[in-house]
Amino acid sequence: MNLKQSMGSRLKGHAEETELNLTAVMNIFLILIPFMLLTAVFVRIAVMELSLPSLDKPGQTATAEKPKSTVLNILKISETGFELNSPDLNLKKLDKTDNDFNWQGLTTQLNQIKEKYPDSEDILISPEDAILYHIIIQVMDRCRESGFPNISISG
Amino acid sequence: MKIEEHETIPLLATGTKRTKRGTFNLKLTSMIDMFTILLVFLLKSYSAEGQIMTVTKDLKLPESTSQMQPKVTSVIAITQEWILVDGRPIEKLENIMNDELLVINPLKDELTKLRTISEGIGSISDQGGFTGNITIQGDRDLTFELVKRIMLTCGSVGYNNMLLAVNQIE
Repeated sequence: MNLKQSMGSRLKGHAEETELNLTAVMNIFLILIPFMLLTAVFVRIAVMELSLPSLDKPGQTATAEKPKSTVLNILKISETGFELNSPDLNLKKLDKTDNDFNWQGLTTQLNQIKEKYPDSEDILISPEDAILYHIIIQVMDRCRESGFPNISISG
Repeated sequence: MKIEEHETIPLLATGTKRTKRGTFNLKLTSMIDMFTILLVFLLKSYSAEGQIMTVTKDLKLPESTSQMQPKVTSVIAITQEWILVDGRPIEKLENIMNDELLVINPLKDELTKLRTISEGIGSISDQGGFTGNITIQGDRDLTFELVKRIMLTCGSVGYNNMLLAVNQIE
């Protein structure tokens, strides 16, 4: 109440509204914005790592990889769809629907494998020759998101 | 002359009177709003690291959610027409597609050269040297057949850690 009254009396007293002095803020903005524009990155490039088994030091890789890889999961990509193979799991072939790959199905099947073998982290992707590069990258993404970070590609 | 002087004095007086009374102020609220939004957007796309890699214009990288940062390596760029190593054109894709051999020989020669250079640097200094890292910038519409052959070529020279460049999406 007090505030309102005082505000009212002030407004009555001065005919004009009081304005904030924004000059300082404007100065900060004018300096910050060109600086930010210079350092802004609009296209961010990342990388995905893919390692071939090394030929130079065969001893090292063999000892490093053996204890981990217990389950061999193979994902085939063909023109018609995905085919996921995992030991002791009967997974249906995922056909294309409406000219697009069945991504949803792939994720559910990968999760099924993960449920059965929580320790397995390896997956072997084997695409056909005509499969496009961005499809493979997308598949690698899905695999990584479902908990298979060790991706290898076989020709 | 005297008459004129008399006339100018009242004019000046009214001028000073105007600036004194209504110090005319800009309505900056909407501009501040705009700047705030712009600032938030720019802060979001701020990056302190700078860009290590640049991509040629006719190369559309595939999208991925990968968070891994690019490393400083040699770059093999594969556009729809050419294979380039560090920006130097190596071979036209047309010439390769009809090739029976899986290994791409011109590329292999270039990579072998790169390897000997980096090994030479490694032998005279602690930094640098041959690490086996190579970045592959592939166009998103390449076929796996070609990518496979390039990977095989890299592997045959000893570049075993391949970094596939992608466009990061949130």
